[in-house]
Amino acid sequence: MTLLSLAILIPWAAGIALVAVDGRRPVVGWAAVATLGGTLVALVALGAEVLTHGEVVVTTGGWPRGVGITLRADAAGVLFAVLSVGVLLAATAHLVMGGVRERTFPGIVVLLAAGLTGLFLTGDLFNFYVFFELAMLASYVLATYGGSRRSLGSALVFTLVNLLGTFVFLLSVAGIYHVTGTLDMAAIGARMDAVDPNAGILIAVGFFVAFSVKLGLFPFHFWLPTVYTGARPAVAAILAGGLANVGAYGLLRFGGELLPRELDLAAGALVVIGAASVLYGGVLAISRHNGSEMLAYSAIGQVGYVLVAVGIGGPVGFAAAVMISIVNSLNKVLLFLTTRMRGAIVGWAFLLGALSVAGVPPAVGFVAKMELFRAAADAPALLVLLFLGSAMSLLYAFQIYQYDFWRTERHGPRSHRSQLAVLGIVAAVVLVAGLWPEPLVYLSDAAARAVGGAAVVVGDGTVVSDGLPAVTSAP
Amino acid sequence: MSSIIGVVAPRLLGPALILAAAIIVKGYADVGDGFSAGVIVATALALRYVSLGWELAERSLPVLRRAPQVATAGLLIALATGFAGPLVGDPPFTHYPRAGESVIHIGTLELITAVVFDLGLFLFVTAAFVVLIHHLARLAQGGPR
Repeated sequence: MTLLSLAILIPWAAGIALVAVDGRRPVVGWAAVATLGGTLVALVALGAEVLTHGEVVVTTGGWPRGVGITLRADAAGVLFAVLSVGVLLAATAHLVMGGVRERTFPGIVVLLAAGLTGLFLTGDLFNFYVFFELAMLASYVLATYGGSRRSLGSALVFTLVNLLGTFVFLLSVAGIYHVTGTLDMAAIGARMDAVDPNAGILIAVGFFVAFSVKLGLFPFHFWLPTVYTGARPAVAAILAGGLANVGAYGLLRFGGELLPRELDLAAGALVVIGAASVLYGGVLAISRHNGSEMLAYSAIGQVGYVLVAVGIGGPVGFAAAVMISIVNSLNKVLLFLTTRMRGAIVGWAFLLGALSVAGVPPAVGFVAKMELFRAAADAPALLVLLFLGSAMSLLYAFQIYQYDFWRTERHGPRSHRSQLAVLGIVAAVVLVAGLWPEPLVYLSDAAARAVGGAAVVVGDGTVVSDGLPAVTSAP
Repeated sequence: MSSIIGVVAPRLLGPALILAAAIIVKGYADVGDGFSAGVIVATALALRYVSLGWELAERSLPVLRRAPQVATAGLLIALATGFAGPLVGDPPFTHYPRAGESVIHIGTLELITAVVFDLGLFLFVTAAFVVLIHHLARLAQGGPR
């Protein structure tokens, strides 16, 4: 309970304090890095508690459950929180080492961490929305940090599109409350069975659109390339590696736990949209000759896999979806951080990231692609798609590697040694997780089970658990 | 407009503060809270900015220059009321005094968690509006930050 409170309190309180002081001073930047580090430690400790003792649930104010707002840490929530805060930590450290130019940057990043941690650790739908908005507000400010007119324009697009997405989300939250009479996620999952299927579908489509906008899935991707290429590399890493996790987590949590019937019904459509995203992102990424543009389109292609995996569903599909989200996030951080650096280490890091995107061992991307192949083993058409997608990612990633590191030398000032160290650490995580994938597989399975990956929809539309041990709740 | 506003604006702050205090106090039995109280005071301050110009408004009331710090303090106060619980071993967002305990009164004002939260919110809303007005006025009239 204390850890759960701490994980939310630390970034929130520190973020508010840091926004008020001048973030261009190095000490403030380092304070932000320390705060993110502290949050990460609290989250890891919380994760250890969740994995050993089961879900941690705190009802605020000591009210009975259903009256007070529920904070809940389960394997999926903690995993995504650790991942996102870790990404924010790496990107912030990288930026602080290079010198912060905007006075509010450290505070805003920490507030973004507060929003993300909160939304991953809440068991209440409206509370999810509040933390979602906090994270989004912080990211709207972050998106303006390019300085140029172009990045301001892209920030405006980002803000408008995402405000629209959040509005659709809020409509669906209201819809859920209308049909089930509760905002507690666990209770919603149980009560959705009795709801009129048409209403259920309408609500599910609203959530799907909201999270797809965040993820930048194919028909909702139009904002993504301008924003990711207009922002500074560290900010792009934060948006692509940290904030985009909200979309993946949302699809899993809302599809798997809250609306399993609707997910089952729409599985085919999800796979088709995911496949379209993979192909569209892949083809456009091949046509780009600039590192960050390639990465932006690659991001659209890679999240397609998440949707395909969610569409396949079941324990294996969900575990694959979790793993792909984690791997995507790591790849994006690694590759976006390399975009404006130079030197041999940067070349090696980029190579590793490229291998990971393409799903080639020893990088961790291979493990994720393996999981996806395992999930899609029954559908030959999907296997062809996965193979084609991987081939395209290999092509576009190495095309950029060739342009940027073989044919010509990158120009610009030498990269700081400390920044290279950050890059090295992220690269090491990608490499070690690829060579020793057991922890990642275990965590993904635990997370998939937590978001209802163990439940299956039987013929008559009711949802049953497949007999996996239920997650116990700590007092 | 200027002659009326010029007379009214400097004299409006006192009544606005009293009205805000009344709204916070009655908020626990009737409509009202820290947010609306903050908006009322911020409106009175905005009128001062309009009639005096930002430089004179801030010279006559130097605390306005400290608005960002006041906003931060307000947010931290509001946040502290939520997370005071875990410090003493209660769940977050616990309401003090707990059910059945006696309430400290200051006149008709009851000193409870919600009031402290609303005071924090009041400070934040007022100061955040002032920051916005300051920046807008500076954009419109020019001058250093």
